[in-house]
Amino acid sequence: MKLNKLYIAAFLVLVGTGCKKDYLDVNTKPNSLPTATPAYVLANALNVSAASLVSPNEVGMFWSGHWTQSNGYIISTTLFSYAFTNGDFNYWDGTYDNLYDYQYVIDNATEYNQDYLKGPAKVMKALNYQKLVDLYGNIPYTDALKGVGNLAPKFDDQKAVYESLIGLLDDGIKDLKANAFASTYASSDIVFKGSNSSWIKFANSLKLRILMRQSRVSGRDAYITAEINKIIAEGSGFITGAEVGANPGYVASAGQINPIYNNYGYTETGARVGNNNWPRITDFLVKKLQATNDTFRLKRLAYAPGNEDIANPGVSVKPEIAANYIGIPFGSSAGYLPGASSAVGPVLLVRGQYNRPIVIMTAAEVQFNLAEAKQRYGSTVNLTGTAQSYYEEGVKQHFRAVGASSANVAALLTSKIDDCDFTTTANKLNAIAYQKWLALGYFNGLEAWSEYRKNNYPVTPNSKNYVGTARPLRLWYPGTELGSNGANVNAQGTIDPLATRIFWDVD
Amino acid sequence: MKKILSSLFLAVLCSLITANAQVRSVTGTVKDEKGVVVAYATVKVKGQASAVVADEKGNFKINAAANATLQVSATGFASTEVRASATSLSITLNHQVDELENVVVTAQGIRKKSKEIGYSYSKVSSDEITVGHSPQLTQALAGKVSGLAVYTVNNSVDPSVKVVLRGYRSLTGNNEALVVIDGMQTTATALALINPNDVENVSILKGGQAATLYGSAGVNGALVITTKQGAKGKLKVSYTNTTNFEQVSFLPAFQNQYGSGSQYYPLVYGQAGYDPSALNRAKENWRPYENQQYGDAYDGSQRIAGRVLADGTSLVIPYADVPNVRLNSFDMGLSQNHQASFQGGDETSSFYLSVENNKINGIVPGDLSDRTGVRVKSSKEYGKISTSFNAAFTQAYYDRTGSDFQNDIINTASWVDLTTMRNWRTNPFANPNGYYNDYYNNPYFNKDINRLKYKDANISGNFDITYRALPWLQFYNRLGIMNNSRTGKNTVEKFQYSDWAKNSAYIPDPWTHEDDYPGIYRAIGDVLGSVADYSTTENVVNNEFQARIQKDIAMVQNKLTLGYSLYQRYTKSISISSSSIVVPEVYNVANRQGNLGGGEANTTERKFGYYADLNTNVKNMEWLNLNLTARYDATSRFFKQTRNANQYSYLYYGGALSFILTDAIPALKSNTLNYAKLRTSYNKNGNDNIPLYGLDLSYTNGANFPYGNNVGLSVGNTLPDADLKPEFVTAMEVGGEFSMFKNRVNLDVSWYKQQSDGQVLTVKVPNTTGFSNLLINVGQVDNWGYEADLKVQVLRDTKVKWDVNLKYSFNDNKVVDLFPGITAFAYGGYSYATSNVILGQRFPILKTNGYYYSADNPTLRRVSPTTGYPVQNTALTERGGTLPRDMVGLGSTVTYKDFRLAFNFEYRGGNFMYSDLGRQMTFTGSGAWTSNRTDQIFANSYYIDPVSGKDVPNTTVKVREPEYALWVNNYRLISENFVAPAWFIKLRDVNLSYTIPSAIVKKSKIFSSANVALYGRNLFTIIDSKNQFTDPEFSYTAGNGSGISNTSQTPPVRQFGFNVNFVF
Repeated sequence: MKLNKLYIAAFLVLVGTGCKKDYLDVNTKPNSLPTATPAYVLANALNVSAASLVSPNEVGMFWSGHWTQSNGYIISTTLFSYAFTNGDFNYWDGTYDNLYDYQYVIDNATEYNQDYLKGPAKVMKALNYQKLVDLYGNIPYTDALKGVGNLAPKFDDQKAVYESLIGLLDDGIKDLKANAFASTYASSDIVFKGSNSSWIKFANSLKLRILMRQSRVSGRDAYITAEINKIIAEGSGFITGAEVGANPGYVASAGQINPIYNNYGYTETGARVGNNNWPRITDFLVKKLQATNDTFRLKRLAYAPGNEDIANPGVSVKPEIAANYIGIPFGSSAGYLPGASSAVGPVLLVRGQYNRPIVIMTAAEVQFNLAEAKQRYGSTVNLTGTAQSYYEEGVKQHFRAVGASSANVAALLTSKIDDCDFTTTANKLNAIAYQKWLALGYFNGLEAWSEYRKNNYPVTPNSKNYVGTARPLRLWYPGTELGSNGANVNAQGTIDPLATRIFWDVD
Repeated sequence: MKKILSSLFLAVLCSLITANAQVRSVTGTVKDEKGVVVAYATVKVKGQASAVVADEKGNFKINAAANATLQVSATGFASTEVRASATSLSITLNHQVDELENVVVTAQGIRKKSKEIGYSYSKVSSDEITVGHSPQLTQALAGKVSGLAVYTVNNSVDPSVKVVLRGYRSLTGNNEALVVIDGMQTTATALALINPNDVENVSILKGGQAATLYGSAGVNGALVITTKQGAKGKLKVSYTNTTNFEQVSFLPAFQNQYGSGSQYYPLVYGQAGYDPSALNRAKENWRPYENQQYGDAYDGSQRIAGRVLADGTSLVIPYADVPNVRLNSFDMGLSQNHQASFQGGDETSSFYLSVENNKINGIVPGDLSDRTGVRVKSSKEYGKISTSFNAAFTQAYYDRTGSDFQNDIINTASWVDLTTMRNWRTNPFANPNGYYNDYYNNPYFNKDINRLKYKDANISGNFDITYRALPWLQFYNRLGIMNNSRTGKNTVEKFQYSDWAKNSAYIPDPWTHEDDYPGIYRAIGDVLGSVADYSTTENVVNNEFQARIQKDIAMVQNKLTLGYSLYQRYTKSISISSSSIVVPEVYNVANRQGNLGGGEANTTERKFGYYADLNTNVKNMEWLNLNLTARYDATSRFFKQTRNANQYSYLYYGGALSFILTDAIPALKSNTLNYAKLRTSYNKNGNDNIPLYGLDLSYTNGANFPYGNNVGLSVGNTLPDADLKPEFVTAMEVGGEFSMFKNRVNLDVSWYKQQSDGQVLTVKVPNTTGFSNLLINVGQVDNWGYEADLKVQVLRDTKVKWDVNLKYSFNDNKVVDLFPGITAFAYGGYSYATSNVILGQRFPILKTNGYYYSADNPTLRRVSPTTGYPVQNTALTERGGTLPRDMVGLGSTVTYKDFRLAFNFEYRGGNFMYSDLGRQMTFTGSGAWTSNRTDQIFANSYYIDPVSGKDVPNTTVKVREPEYALWVNNYRLISENFVAPAWFIKLRDVNLSYTIPSAIVKKSKIFSSANVALYGRNLFTIIDSKNQFTDPEFSYTAGNGSGISNTSQTPPVRQFGFNVNFVF
């Protein structure tokens, strides 16, 4: 019986230990953090916003007629026959995911005594929503980003979202003015390193973009001019002289180099990536630049066939004379192997320059928006310059941005060539549209496509791989949203990406 | 142990009845049906408590009255009863042929007589397991148990296998059966490593009913594996060798008419000069370096493959099909299995030791695995205490390629003889600097430079002790552990292309074209090399303490087990990596450029539970047995200090009733019907099926962060509901067991239904909420089916003995309820082919894009009236369920003298598959279905008349570019083309063995028995004619999203070999 007692005792001991709640208290995640400081969330959110522009910008570069694909790849029917579905080009899920991180910063900044993060978060929130409207039209806005609070967000009218964004940016500016950035966390601001004044200028520039995007919508003139005058009255001005870019601190290590460089150019060790053969300059772009004697920019936008000389970064293997550049007709599926066509130029890719920031907005774009505003609205907008002065400043800023010598700008501006020389160009808006299209290219391909949809200028040829005249005007609502928020998606009516227009795309 | 316990039960049961008669001494000998002595049989007088055990030679002596009945039993034999009329008896025990009287191991090691069990279970014996000599236990079970589906989702030297009982009941959680080895709850890791020859039997507890006592882990049923223990008798040494050959059983269907080429014809349709002949255009499409196979038809002419090498040589070969080149690119796999076992025992102890080495060389050249294991099991009885010890050490080493070898092979044009390209280090045309294909590298190069090497070191085992405190009370404790450590290294060899390959390699006349350019396309990027080193530890501790009480209360006979269970599983993984290496072939992260990559992951989970199992019946009414079970569990998965106890702990229960009809109404018993049992059970089981640490919203490092000191965090995408609690599965089952015609026909049928409520589900919510998923208790899933097992001893009393068994099972499920507002979600797959959960339907459901069909004639597919190309309906349309509804197993054993032939077939069907391999092969043009490259009207097509808007059967509009664009740009993108019914019939295993007659063997004075066998596994497979792709069992994931396969599964194989076994 001794053993028996021992057993019972052991049993009781075991049961006794087991009963304690402590035995079960091992359920705290050991692999990730249970909470997050908003500053760190902002740093990542900014980086994600920048990096997630790479893919839509590529689509924009194709559909705005800047780029096409080389024939080392079979033709992409999604891109060049417009046979894309709601499973393709899903920029929706990632953007809302990114937006939630900004929402987290906005909601939690006060608790962490980081109120100064609210302004940048709101500006970036506006930027992302503007991107979503331009891609999808009506989108969830007021109901969105509420977690379990609303599991089936209804869609808001696209125009109303656009208007709300102006208010959101105003809020952001208010926050930026009220809360100085704590220097300890300046490195978390991978865009402006904690410069609130820069954020305000960026917010104003973004407002200007959102307003001018609607400039061809009838009945909006009064609203647009009033809002522009408010920006001018606010007084902080616009970004100028340099691009808005994000750089988390790229280093030459796998995954930590500029994603554009890594996607189209080289690896961290300088080995060429296979995708380097993928995008090619269109025949249209090459010929247009050749026809306008714009060879300075041509040499920056493209490498001559044979590509960059690995031993001499930034310079083509072949002599950089205008005649040596070969573009591919848009959507052409045969006849142009990678070695026989012009690759993406030093404006984006120079071997070894893996640590450039990703451009979010260019200084040139602001000038062209101002030029268009002045051209359209004249004295109703309180702008001090003339349309021509803004236009010419825009071209100069683009020369600077692509790395072409500004010494060559003057010749172009006085060349008496249409779309270059403002004075002699009959259709001033077309000149602005063309130069803006050119300036948005490479940096903001998505914006270039949006401007192309808005202005229908320059007239780029349709894809050789598409039977018909239609062009992509928007994206499908993604299958993921249809699958989980079907009623609200279906409430948007029949969507045809080749026919359904975004509200600012009037024709 | 088993015998001790069973005799104990008998003793206790029978002590209740006392008999009085003239007692005298009776002696006897126990032998089996072949006259071989049965050692240590238990002999007792019916109705008396006392029993004797026969000695090693089968002799016994017992006191019994002349009218007494002796009951003789021994493990592995059917008990028999003999009248003690003579004082010297010769008793014959038959090897167990039916399991009716068998004591079976049920959940938690509780032994029950078959009659007492009120639910469905199956038992697979060692003989059945080893028919095909599979080194993998799970694969050896395929087709042998109704309701059990073993999915080999990926073939390789380390196959990925999934075991599912009675279909899926959890939408997003685990559906795999629990694995219990000698009473210890363990994991798939241990299952993959166990030596099937060490297994005595596997009890399959199919429903949640049987496994209630295992807690949450048993909700999907359990495989209860009992390993061999030493048989009583003198030391028996046995040696077995198996030599196994493995070859590809089938590859996808290939075209063998066209070689390398792509879309190079320069003119666009309609352009001036456009050549109307597809044949001529195909000639223009031919290129010597193409990965696609859309060139002109083979004509046997001498053509260059690839470009001129740096030394000026070039590969000029006939432009003609090399027969079976892809098949021959794989190896004939060879494996060797050696094992030896030592066993023995006496009245109070037993001992079993086995050693095994299994070495596999796979069909992918260079892939190998090497497993060495030792298992020891011993038991000892000291009066009231018995102990047993059981441990296994296994080391397994794997060396596999990380490349998609199958993809590389099946997509290579058939005019280039890959078999000559094996040695790329010495053959300049096989070397990447000279290999002909501009886009795909040499498959052998890819496989050689990408290696996954890893080693498992596994210790598992348990100690148990039983203390028979009182005649009616036993205490039992078992401590089990499983410790697995995997260390591995994934490497990619560095390769730098020569400048010639990059910039100068050219195509000479007469094969050159104007758009050719110098330099091999793929040479653009050097292979930087990489190394990833990791180690993973998995540690499971499981302790079970039980008090077993057997006490009658008046006429009520009770057996009660009270238990207390502790379970802990701990894992730790650490990896470090570098994506480039400096000095070639030195695979250490120190030899790197850039930052060190890597990470760590840790998990701990704990559970404790109390349980009770009561088996009760009324004296003289033993034909009715009631079994009640209850368990209370607490789990760390739902635990937080702030949560209420009812959110992490839960009680559940069940009951089962078995009714032996033929005992209750003996009049029913006849020569036709010997035995009939009816059974029913009902259970409600709790389940903590939540992802580990699922209660926490996580904040993870942003992608690629930290950049230096710059930290970035991201808010997790799965939002846990605050009120998460365990889910419940209710299950009911009705069944019956019938023996007919002198027990020669046995039928076991069951019907079951399981309903799972409030599943912890990762629901896909709109991303516009800011999250992609919500973890919440929602929904209801029903799962039901029926099973029938028929065993027939067709021939028994003749020289030829022939057994046939047939198993049929049907299973289906239905998503009854989902989260409000959500009617469907996808598990994953491709954007054009997904597996889905859809409200109101079975799951998973395969959806793909497809054709438009004419409303007038649903066999006609829409084409464009201008191009003739099929029009893709981009909407994902349902193609059917991916889980088999019907499964049939047909097994048979024929014995004639010393020969034995056994085989098992399996059929599964009623489901659909999508093969992405089909899409890949359409891209490259290697698929047989792309063979028609001539002018054609797309078969069975219609178009919408642009004027009338009506559907017009297409007899006029020809496809524009049948030599290329039809396939690559149109047909390929219509995923419906690669959907096929997923049924199959496989000859799972077949075995012909010959036991050398003992008279001959004994002359050797070395061996006591010897046996040789020829066997095969999956010797042939029959699949649907529409399935031109691969084995329907394959899946890209071992998760719930089954039904979608791609090229990364190694092709299906057949295996065969021979086996010799000697007992010394």
